Amino acid sequence: MTYRMGVDIGGTFTDFALIDDTTGELTIHKQLTTPADPSEAVLDGVATLLKRRAVAPAQLGAVIHGSTLVTNAIIERKGAVTGMLVTKGFRDVLDIAMERRYDLYDLTIRFPTPIVARRRRRQIDERLDFSGAVLQPLDAGEVERAAAELVEQEGVRALAICFLHSFVNAGHEEQAREIVARRYPELYVSTSADVFPYAREYERWNTTAMNAFVQPVADRYLGNLEGGLQRLGVKGPLYIMTSSGGTVTTATAKRYPVRMLESGPAAGVLMSAHHGRTLGLSNILSYDMGGTTAKGAIVRGGQPHKTYEIEVARIHHFKEGSGLPAKVPVLDMIEIGSGGGSIAELDDRGVIRVGPQSAGADPGPACYGRGGKRPTLTDADLLLGYLDPDFFLGGKMKLDRAAAETALELGLAKALGVDVTRAAWGIHEVINEDVARAFRVHASEKGFDYRGCSMIAFGGSGPMHALRIARKLRIPRVVLPTGAGVMSAFGMLVSPLSFQIARSNRVGYAELPRERFAELFAGLTREAAAFLLRAGVPQPEIRVTRRLDMRYRGQGYEIEVELPDELDLSAAFERLPQLFGESYARIFSLSYLQEPLEIVNWKVEVQGPTPAMSQHFHLALEHQVGAPEKGRRQAYFPEAGGYVATPVYDRYALRPEVTIGGPALIEENESTCVVGVGDQVTVDAAGNLVTEIAQEQVREAAA
Amino acid sequence: MTTFDPVTLGILWDRLISITNEIVLTVVRTSFSSIVRSYDLACVLFDAEGRSLAQGTFSVPVFIGTAPQTMRHMLAKFPPETLRPGDVIVTNDIYMGTGHLWDVNVMRPAFHDGRLIGYAMSITHLPDIGGRGFSAVNVDEYEEGLQIPIMKLVDQGRLNEELIAIVRQNVRVPEQTVGDLMANVTAVEVGCRELVAFMEEYRIDDLRPLSQAILSQSERMMRRRIADCPDGVYRNRIQVESVGDPVTLACAVSIAGDRLHVDFSGTSPSVPYSINVPLCYTRAMTCFSMKALLLPDIPNNEGSVNPIELSAPVGSILNCQPPAATAARFQIGHFVAPLIFGALAEALPDRVQADPGMMNLLNVMGRRRDGRDFTTLYFSSGGFGALLGYDGTATTPAPSNMAVVATEDWEATTNIRVVRRELRADSGGAGEFRGGLGQVVELVNDTGHPLTVFGMGARTDFPALGLQGGKPGARRLYRLNGEAVSAKGRHEMRPGDRLEMLESGAGGLGEPSRRPRQKLLQDIAEGFVTLGRAKADYGFDLAMEQSGKAAE
Amino acid sequence: MTERIDPVTLGILWDRLISITNEIVETLVRTSFSSIVRESYDLAVVLFDARGRSLAQGTFCQPVFIGTGPQTMKHVLRYFPPESFGEGDVVITNDVYMGTGHLWDVNLVRPVFRKGRIVGYALTISHLPDIGGRGMSAVNQDIHDEGLQIPLLKLVKAGTLNRELVDLIRKNVRVSEQVIGDILANVTATEVGGRLLLDFMDEYRLEDLAPLADAIVSQSERAMREQIAAIPDGSYRNAIKIEGLDGPIDLACRIDVAGDRLHVDYAGTGPQIRAGINVPLCYTRAMTCFALKCLVLPNIPNNEGSVNPIELSAPDGSILNCRPPAASAARMLVGHFVVPMIFGALADALPHRVQGDPGMMNVLNVVGRRRDGEPFSTLFFSSGGFGALAGLDGMSATPAPANMMCMPAEAWEPMTGMRVIRRNFRIDSGGAGEFRGGLGQEIELRNDTGHPLTVMILGSRTEFPARGMRGAGNGMARVFRINGQPVHAKGRYELQVGDTLLLEDSGAGGYGNPRARAPERIASDLAEGLVSPEAALRDYGFDVRRGRAAAE
Repeated sequence: MTYRMGVDIGGTFTDFALIDDTTGELTIHKQLTTPADPSEAVLDGVATLLKRRAVAPAQLGAVIHGSTLVTNAIIERKGAVTGMLVTKGFRDVLDIAMERRYDLYDLTIRFPTPIVARRRRRQIDERLDFSGAVLQPLDAGEVERAAAELVEQEGVRALAICFLHSFVNAGHEEQAREIVARRYPELYVSTSADVFPYAREYERWNTTAMNAFVQPVADRYLGNLEGGLQRLGVKGPLYIMTSSGGTVTTATAKRYPVRMLESGPAAGVLMSAHHGRTLGLSNILSYDMGGTTAKGAIVRGGQPHKTYEIEVARIHHFKEGSGLPAKVPVLDMIEIGSGGGSIAELDDRGVIRVGPQSAGADPGPACYGRGGKRPTLTDADLLLGYLDPDFFLGGKMKLDRAAAETALELGLAKALGVDVTRAAWGIHEVINEDVARAFRVHASEKGFDYRGCSMIAFGGSGPMHALRIARKLRIPRVVLPTGAGVMSAFGMLVSPLSFQIARSNRVGYAELPRERFAELFAGLTREAAAFLLRAGVPQPEIRVTRRLDMRYRGQGYEIEVELPDELDLSAAFERLPQLFGESYARIFSLSYLQEPLEIVNWKVEVQGPTPAMSQHFHLALEHQVGAPEKGRRQAYFPEAGGYVATPVYDRYALRPEVTIGGPALIEENESTCVVGVGDQVTVDAAGNLVTEIAQEQVREAAA
Repeated sequence: MTTFDPVTLGILWDRLISITNEIVLTVVRTSFSSIVRSYDLACVLFDAEGRSLAQGTFSVPVFIGTAPQTMRHMLAKFPPETLRPGDVIVTNDIYMGTGHLWDVNVMRPAFHDGRLIGYAMSITHLPDIGGRGFSAVNVDEYEEGLQIPIMKLVDQGRLNEELIAIVRQNVRVPEQTVGDLMANVTAVEVGCRELVAFMEEYRIDDLRPLSQAILSQSERMMRRRIADCPDGVYRNRIQVESVGDPVTLACAVSIAGDRLHVDFSGTSPSVPYSINVPLCYTRAMTCFSMKALLLPDIPNNEGSVNPIELSAPVGSILNCQPPAATAARFQIGHFVAPLIFGALAEALPDRVQADPGMMNLLNVMGRRRDGRDFTTLYFSSGGFGALLGYDGTATTPAPSNMAVVATEDWEATTNIRVVRRELRADSGGAGEFRGGLGQVVELVNDTGHPLTVFGMGARTDFPALGLQGGKPGARRLYRLNGEAVSAKGRHEMRPGDRLEMLESGAGGLGEPSRRPRQKLLQDIAEGFVTLGRAKADYGFDLAMEQSGKAAE
Repeated sequence: MTERIDPVTLGILWDRLISITNEIVETLVRTSFSSIVRESYDLAVVLFDARGRSLAQGTFCQPVFIGTGPQTMKHVLRYFPPESFGEGDVVITNDVYMGTGHLWDVNLVRPVFRKGRIVGYALTISHLPDIGGRGMSAVNQDIHDEGLQIPLLKLVKAGTLNRELVDLIRKNVRVSEQVIGDILANVTATEVGGRLLLDFMDEYRLEDLAPLADAIVSQSERAMREQIAAIPDGSYRNAIKIEGLDGPIDLACRIDVAGDRLHVDYAGTGPQIRAGINVPLCYTRAMTCFALKCLVLPNIPNNEGSVNPIELSAPDGSILNCRPPAASAARMLVGHFVVPMIFGALADALPHRVQGDPGMMNVLNVVGRRRDGEPFSTLFFSSGGFGALAGLDGMSATPAPANMMCMPAEAWEPMTGMRVIRRNFRIDSGGAGEFRGGLGQEIELRNDTGHPLTVMILGSRTEFPARGMRGAGNGMARVFRINGQPVHAKGRYELQVGDTLLLEDSGAGGYGNPRARAPERIASDLAEGLVSPEAALRDYGFDVRRGRAAAE
């Protein structure tokens, strides 16, 4: 049992990574995703890869799996017919939503259609007050009637039970669940207090509705997968990647499918963190850029930053507030509408804007020659010489330089009154700026000082921009890990079993007895640990992280305070005001306030041991390589005065210890690394490209 | 003087905007009142001459119009040469600020190696400023609350404890009001820090050329859009309910080439209630409306509104004079948007939106069960107006943009129970494109103490009108224990009393008869339109439908 | 100068101090802007020794301030210990509880330095014409409605005026030049006071005022205790009803006299209400001390010592010991009744000292514009009759217990542009008795300003007349009429141009059985036209035609 396999389903490709934990040898496999039933591709790929490396299924210790299934099911509304039981008087919470325009001036503003149709929401006479006290007992008869109508007339297969203040007292939701289960045992039921016990009904109920909506789908899918793997003879367990970067058993995944949202990207960040740990870099910006979007995340002290809110199915992909909020533990990621396919245009101000509109894969950038007429980032990068028209995707595809030139000329340069090169450089720089800006804002929100940290970049377009973005951010070091094309699949392999529970429980620090503080955490810890114990993790190996959301009494937003591991609970309790003060000052600035402190949310994360992935894993060499330097081509480097003949290297041919000075281009199948003037690249033992960024200034941005 | 090529300009510009967004975030996260968390705020960056560089994306439209004026007044009182690092200036002056006392304007100069290089300003709506409270029935400005002239809140890093003491003593919820004040101080500090970092990073030692470029670029764009509109004079006149008799708002929008002038002659004089509108607010609303119509996609910015000229009769309700009371100025001011939209309906048929149901605002003062006092606002929206090709969205604020308070949050902070909050069927004006639905909100006083509420709801007498044959939306209605009461009055709620607020729907657009059957059926299925009204408004006949189905 | 002060010296120094305070009062009166101080003497001046014990108070000061001044001084010393003071400092406050019980009285205190150390303090108080808010009215709901609250702050620091504070006050009040003028008049008065105090010390070579204070205070206290001891021991009760805003208010007191100690307890008094007539304890104490001093020791100069022996208690949150945020603008509407209530309680214990109920004073707060458009906000005082005593008819139109002077028409008319149409005695309004209660007066005002006016009436005795003592009749109740129609005695009304307001002030209660009244007194009353023939017959059984008592 020395092998493990990570499987990541993406939009177009399903990626596989097989590791031999004894030798640290990694093998990568890609194949087209099968949208109808994604499990087909997965099972097929697993078999193929095992065969290719001549590994017996029985030797496979575990399969760790991440999937966009849930995300897609919600975006494409391919979930089950779902009903909802809500507190009487609150049928329309999902429609009324936030009552906030995400765009001030857009008179045509739209919001996503609620997950559960209004006619399938039934009101139940019950009511708790904010302290959890019962104002109006649950009307059992009404619950039965409503469930009966929904199931028998509306054909509902999943049910979300959402009552006000259930995060304080889940009693009514649980009663309702039992009543429904007794009559319809086959019905999928999600209750809001169970899915995510957080205050603020719209977000919590919406999350619960999503969970119910995808439960049947996820259940069937995971069932197929387990069955299929058994038929293949795989004995090891199947673990499911969650949006928080931890894995869970299929049982847990079936109960909380909504926690599988965006699990692929999460795995990528996790891999960055892992690289960081192995390279001894504790503070990292993880940066992933593909065809349509760029994603970033912060890794502090080896741990990716976590949060509890993401937004899915946005009307305007990159307009915050235009989607459906989900309250689930996630790795805190920023997403920007910048990718190779991003279209460049003049906005109403008459300045360049790149993205979020994307030419996608079809027609794609003008240089694809598939009829795309509008200039894209890929077109610009091609004209700047960063891409080789004859070695795109490892030569699988030819690029049309002339088409790119025309697109830029007509689409941009003319209107701007500048030449094509300036326009191309403009596009390239705007993207770099957009990404850098997004990182800055994100970092300062988190009180994270990125200067001096390292960047780990991957994805098809990442390496082409990473070094320049790093300069803008004064980041001294960029790592381009090996196998950047399948980072997520790798990430699965380093992901520990884990589970998070967060519960709202508003209490004044001054009024809180020390014992109560310990009790509350103990309870949450027991609850969370149970999930790991069920998965077979021995108690002593469970690592617990405790966090609190705190604020000055009267404030409406909280900041997160992590309790240091080394402190026992009562010591932590003592230090709380100090810990809060430090975090507050880090994020905002010293405060003039003396208001009493208040704890709002209590969070516990339990983690199993991180899989021992060998320090020096390496890609199995499966094809022949030639000389490291393939040749030279004209590429644009402003510091070098414009176009210069730049050496082009074959990444697969680079041996450890090799160093390369910029300007230079290093090509691999999925992408090209653009090394700027003065940057120094070194190849490490694992084949990662570790780059020291020249710290001269970024004047040219404003030149 | 430095000039910027469009590529660089775009980069720098976007960066500045992201800085302002960061300030907004800081205010929202450090504020003490749920009002700020409803985004009743604005943040703006200025160059050394007080010209605005960038403004937060999620600011309330009105502040975007007022902030640059406020800046000028502040610099008049404290000339740049008198300002020192660590100074913070504050005011809530009605005419120099945002048009009523509840918005506090906080400004801080930014210094870079000893030179003053710009300013950051942050504005938020305070939960309480003393006085009679945020209401429509105050008689003059002195009744309304504490007035803070332009003064130093922080002097070279030293907090003005005396001012704080005065504010504390004069407001009902000191910890909230002072807490919010401090949130602004923090925000402008962050803003200045970021502004300096920005300059260091791009090696910019003078922001003026940049603001020059940004402003002129925006202005050019706006002029271009104005020039695209057919020349002419477009008039409109509407009636709006007041506390007493209805008032008339009138406007004449003259477009000539790239120049646009809005004249509000014919508008009624100001009234002895706190719904008068200072010109600064009228201007802001006018600019907002024009921008939404002509140039929605460019960042908020002074330059874009420079081409818009306006005039309103002195002493009219759209240009009131001291000591007029203005607490609920938006009750009249918000109607400037539909007034102008109406005027331009013919000129820009595809851009103009039917009347919105508008926002309703309830000011609540009382005591929690635990005995702590509170005063806060409850925002709840009517429907959004229909637009050619689009049904109006339900419960969406316009023209302002305050977010709703979550019931679970509201009940915990005020102990006032929300009995129901649901869409109001049939409230959206019928039309080929239906007006957005309003909602019904029912509150019951569970605090165990008497409660004072000030209603500030419009659309009670005059509904949101439709366009091009579209029907008006349902009117707003307040009920206290089942009895209809004024939506602008001051009401006492005894423990157990119930207040229902039926929010108004928006106007529809186009002949109802032309609404596609499919959309109508869906409206009926979802309960947005009842069968009865479907028949009355759309001539929908259930029997015929069924026989029709049978035939299929 | 030795520690002991012989009686002769004491007398000289004491009288000198009093004349000094009277000089300060004159300064204040001469330098004040508003008629309230200038014409009506609504002010006080008190001198203290270094430990804050009162030395002397102006003769014409308002009794209430004599009670509150020493309390205010103690608060000042708690917030500003001597070491925190510098030469040339002046502190200010209008805090309701630390000051005089409502916001309109501004209290200023200046430490007096001699050879670098504090030797005493000068306190001046005056009633401001406006403090913003809704104005001085009985219908305010809480203190935040009422106006600007100034916490204890330094108004002058080492001789430099705190401009920002002044600006802030100016910004928040209606007739700012008057308000600021009056405040600065107080600053001047305290300065004069300080100087005179120093001259006094130089003149008599006093290094320290403490021994003098000791003497004065102990002397007065001793005198008071002797008088109290003269009252038969026992518990004396009284309970009265007075009109509130909605429904009457109960006031009750129990006076326990034991030896030279006296305790007044107000248990049984009704709770505070949501109107501007609640009484903070400081005011209740002042009224209590005043009433008792009148009864037992009228002839020694006002000072603290005389009231030290008086203890009192009132239920928390009762209308005689209200808690924030209670409104208290018109606290005297309830507080003044403490005096007759105490008189009533002691009627049997001190038969020859007590007095029939007074008709009491009546205050109008008038806010408007003069013909020339200048805004004004001021008070109009008018008095009912003075209560009759054993052996003495009550004086007509004489204030009690307060001591505001009525405004001469010739001062009032030019100041406001209002017209005083008539002003004369109100026949038969004095309560019949062996000794007749004083008459009230009739005053008719007309709004000739050319602008609408707001009048806030602060009157009492409309439902519960001034009661007679020992078998005498009651005085006539007070009536307010606008254009002939009766209106509420605590209402807020708009006077349109040409409207008239008629005040019929209440008469005082009489003393003793009317039948015992000497015929010549009745005859002279008839001759003077103070009593009508009908009343003479009805009340005294005196038949004019027969020129003698009908009884005979």
